[in-house]
Amino acid sequence: MSAARSSFWPGGAAGTVLRIVASRLVQAVLTALVLASLCFAFVQALPGDAALRIAAARSGDDRVTAESVARVREQEGLDRPLLAQYASWIGRLAQGDLGHSLVSRQPVWRELAEHGRFTLGLGALGWLLSYAIALPLGIACGFRPGGWLDRGTNALAVALASMPSFLVGIGLISLFALTLRWLPPAGFRTGAHMVLPALTLALGLAAFSVRIIRNAVVEVRGAFYMTFARIRGRSAGAAFLHHGVRNAAIPVATFAALQFAYVVDGFVVVETLFNYPGLGDLLVKSLLARDVPMVMGAGMVVGLMYAAVNLLADLVCIGLDPRRLAGRDA
Amino acid sequence: MTLALTHPPARIRRPLVAPLLLLGGLAALVVIGPLVIPHDPAAQDLVRTLEGPSAQHWFGTDHLGRDIAARLVHGGVRSLGIAVACVGFATGVGVALGLLAAYAGRVADIAIMRLADLMLAFPGILLALLISGFLGGGVLPMLIGIKLALWPQFARMARAIAIGELAQPHVEAARLAGFSALTILRRHVLPPVLRQTVTLATLGLGAAIMSISSLGFLGLGLQPPTPEWGAMISELLPYLAEAPVQMAAPCLAIFLAVLGATLLGQALAEPPTMPEEM
Repeated sequence: MSAARSSFWPGGAAGTVLRIVASRLVQAVLTALVLASLCFAFVQALPGDAALRIAAARSGDDRVTAESVARVREQEGLDRPLLAQYASWIGRLAQGDLGHSLVSRQPVWRELAEHGRFTLGLGALGWLLSYAIALPLGIACGFRPGGWLDRGTNALAVALASMPSFLVGIGLISLFALTLRWLPPAGFRTGAHMVLPALTLALGLAAFSVRIIRNAVVEVRGAFYMTFARIRGRSAGAAFLHHGVRNAAIPVATFAALQFAYVVDGFVVVETLFNYPGLGDLLVKSLLARDVPMVMGAGMVVGLMYAAVNLLADLVCIGLDPRRLAGRDA
Repeated sequence: MTLALTHPPARIRRPLVAPLLLLGGLAALVVIGPLVIPHDPAAQDLVRTLEGPSAQHWFGTDHLGRDIAARLVHGGVRSLGIAVACVGFATGVGVALGLLAAYAGRVADIAIMRLADLMLAFPGILLALLISGFLGGGVLPMLIGIKLALWPQFARMARAIAIGELAQPHVEAARLAGFSALTILRRHVLPPVLRQTVTLATLGLGAAIMSISSLGFLGLGLQPPTPEWGAMISELLPYLAEAPVQMAAPCLAIFLAVLGATLLGQALAEPPTMPEEM
């Protein structure tokens, strides 16, 4: 998509990097704007009285009074005209003010930070674990394509890829928590509580990345420069380390960013399944409670993280493959 | 890409047999099941809760004494039916917009592809989650959400292939011979696009089944007591230790349906080219 606009931009290395950063920035801003407008539209479109809903969420359904509803209506500015509400909604957002949760009345950013910590820990652990599984396995498969390990791994990867993450999680809970009783089934108090959620995420991720790694290794091993390195007298291992790893890393890095989309599905479902208080759990609970500022905040964090991850992957690819800077596609 | 003048006769290759049987079998079970299984999927029997499999209840009963087998087949109609509808809509809209982007000039191209980029900027099921969440579950929000998330892939694929086809000399010749845009798109561009579409749609079917069951599992999809595979699993979750068979049934159903779609998609994708990366 960058090629279509190349005439607008300065050429050369700096231009390429600038273009990539700019396009991801635009992506981030647009995502935020769409989310904010969507959230606003939904608030307006919801049937019933918003003030009544919020009051009920705060004090419980049976303890809502006319005064508490009126108080909520005034506090949240629900009695102003629509356009004024939209303008102040977007205006506040532009200043970085995400507002307060309608349910807990905490500032949204504080809740996000609190839950984000948990998700970041889980995500990082899951990601690391997935590559701890997929890298050695993928490379081993790539060195012997068609072998028993390759075929077995492929079958397993297809099976895992055909399960939504809650199926993988339920399988792990049944095995490790209920049958073997090695690990706690749900919760978040100790490190042991993180093992099963992280493993669930990791298996889902590894199911895809192992194939990408394997294919990258197979392709690189068949490349002409590898044959040439072998002709020059290098051992297969040395040639792979010297010429192969970097070339094989390019598709793997690109794919790692695409995988973030899977991580989002993964952590929303996994956190709900394991009752783990991260961003995904927060998002689902806020959606069920119709806590719009909270939903918008959580959605925005996820959307911006996606843009950031994509940017990082773009830059990593350039770092690995400087040929792209010259404007030629590798 | 081969010329679209001659269509190879439709034949079923060997790798297609197993996934087709799997999907066909599931579809048949889901369609015939409600006729064969006498139980009402919503009928509660609070005396016989969490019972194991028996002659009367093939897969046992859930925590409210409802027949798992009946809920499974009635839920399957929804899970699979909605998935097919989502993919069908997304395919139609995506291919139409993709062709429009390729043919209708620069402004339409930029507008449509930016819109597609914008949709793809929402990772995974986030969009479907937000829409279903706000609109309060049910079939329509889920249809809209999943369709919105799926169509950009079809649009990108259709546009990429169409641009390649439109640059071919035989298309140029057709244009010079005075054929209308619609005729050219229908005769020369649509066939190769549709060939790729089948593959992408099959893979999309697997993704849609997963999204629908994930939404159901999260409590944001179809609302209880409507039977749906994902919702069944989340309802049975507290009784995992007591009711392993009842839990395994919907799990296996989702797994087999997605597996069938994935294998079919892979088998279709194998001989020609893989669909373009998202």
